[in-house]
Amino acid sequence: MEQNVKTLLEQFRTIAANPKKAVEDHKAETGKGAIGMMPVYAPEEMVHATGFLPVGLWGGNRPVSKARTYLPPFACSIMQQVMELECDGAYDILDAVVFSVPCDTLKCMSQKWKGSAPALVFTHPQNRGLEAANRFLEHEYAVLQEKLEEVTGVKVTNVALEQSIQVYNENRAVMREFAKLAAEYPQVISAVDRHAVFKARMFMEKSRHTALVRELMEAVRASDPQPWMGKKVVVTGILVEPDGLLSLFDELGLAIVADDLAQESRQVRVDVPEGDEAPLYRLARVWQNMYGCPLATDTKKARGPMLQDMVRKTGADAVVVAMMKFCDPEEWDYPIYHRQFGEWGIRDLMIEVDQEAVSFEQARTRLQSLVETL
Amino acid sequence: MYTMGIDVGSSSSKAVILRDGSEVVAEAVVQAGTGSSGPGRVLEEIAARSGLKVQDMAFILATGYGRSNLPMADKQMSEITCHAKGVFFEEPTARTIIDIGGQDVKAIALTDQGTIRQFYMNDKCAAGTGRFLEVMSRVLEVGLDEMAGYHFRSQHPASVSSTCTVFAESEVISLLSQGMAKEDIIAGVHFSVAAKACALAQRVGVRESVVLTGGVGQNSGVADAIQKELGQQILVARDPQLTGALGAALLAYEEQIRKEKSA
Repeated sequence: MEQNVKTLLEQFRTIAANPKKAVEDHKAETGKGAIGMMPVYAPEEMVHATGFLPVGLWGGNRPVSKARTYLPPFACSIMQQVMELECDGAYDILDAVVFSVPCDTLKCMSQKWKGSAPALVFTHPQNRGLEAANRFLEHEYAVLQEKLEEVTGVKVTNVALEQSIQVYNENRAVMREFAKLAAEYPQVISAVDRHAVFKARMFMEKSRHTALVRELMEAVRASDPQPWMGKKVVVTGILVEPDGLLSLFDELGLAIVADDLAQESRQVRVDVPEGDEAPLYRLARVWQNMYGCPLATDTKKARGPMLQDMVRKTGADAVVVAMMKFCDPEEWDYPIYHRQFGEWGIRDLMIEVDQEAVSFEQARTRLQSLVETL
Repeated sequence: MYTMGIDVGSSSSKAVILRDGSEVVAEAVVQAGTGSSGPGRVLEEIAARSGLKVQDMAFILATGYGRSNLPMADKQMSEITCHAKGVFFEEPTARTIIDIGGQDVKAIALTDQGTIRQFYMNDKCAAGTGRFLEVMSRVLEVGLDEMAGYHFRSQHPASVSSTCTVFAESEVISLLSQGMAKEDIIAGVHFSVAAKACALAQRVGVRESVVLTGGVGQNSGVADAIQKELGQQILVARDPQLTGALGAALLAYEEQIRKEKSA
């Protein structure tokens, strides 16, 4: 059974590292193409309902050179990587790219997208309290659906959309369960492996991902959880990459017992609500139900209390803030919850995330110091 | 019982041998850091000074950027932990530490018991570090050990950018070509270093006593600039370059005691 866990985790790692193969396999199998999904939040269910493969575009880990011509140096690391990949033609295999524009950089990127795959842009409403905002977003989604139908040549029926919503809600529930399981079995599921399971989600048809995660969880549960002698942390931010950075957590005995990462648990935090309303309207309601993310306006700033609750429930020793380089929404949130942590006696540590990085000595010193002082 | 702390940084290698976790037997500094002959030479140097060999050490603890590449070490710990230990040992009133090394600036907040409450490090940028001063020293043709003398003769310190070493170097070249006195440029450079370090210190919350450590702490001009920037007196560690190695030797002693108790 232990071998089975290793094999399954290796499978997730392979998928997470090979998005191009995922697209090619999907095309060969279904005859349908792939749609890129730019960060951060988009109604992927809509793409799924066309039978095309939604593929998360969350950057990479390559030297940035060509992108410097088109982007200011203070554009975030993900956008630098996406621009570099775009310049290299990596996205030419896609049929379109769906852009949500919750930050200034994404807004500008969506307007200067020059890849062969067209950009399909929609806007989330800033106001997340009014019913009119739900209706506005429903209308944005209807426009997006029309564009998708044009690109894919597939009519999205309400029946297909309902089925996709069900598939996604199921996958989100499974991933929430997986995150809890990973916290119980840090010896079995390393920080790098945990990330691979989440990342593979971006390149797999979701019902298949759900099935594979269930298989993994069953294999892991075949053994009893063992006491963890290291420290436990909650990680917050946009993402923790590349693997060299995550490996430090494993080397230093830091188990990630919960995450509040935009690339990981924020994607599965909120389900599409059940109900009799039209599927597009219910998809739109997700935006108002979302919480704890600086890209979704929150006048009450509930992220601090949310993280406090995560620390309490998981017994974490500290919060590691994975600060995406030049992500101003994340930067603006930091002083608020950092002060709250001080008041609540919660230790926290900020490390910088730059996807281009190849050396992690500064992060090692910071993380090691945290471990030594907890 | 002898324990050794060895601190291999980016620009220098330092070692301290302690007897019974309290008495300094020998200290050594070699101005060559990780990836160079520095670590080997500092071990030879301290052996010559103390008459003790590596085998005589009950425990060796390594710290600094080169800490992972020392096979003779029994354990390695971060320089943040070691500097905090070393400073508090020598100055129990210390509550805030500013550590300026070859390529890092760190601010560390201590509790009344000397444990680390919070710390911050500079990001991937050499501005405000020892490397920044080395670059300026070369451009100005003034030795690092002479800079403090120039600083205290300054009448009107220049304004020098603290955001980027390369830009600051261009600024300094420009000031030189304008004929500005080296004294004023050097004082401006020191205030630039101080601004960077103090911004970090403010993030952890400045509490007295503030202690300056790290190799740059040997430059009394920088210490003066930090005092003026903070608006309060600061202390400089007895030998700021050796504080990390001292802390490592103290922690090595604690590790050995713990090991013996659990045996």
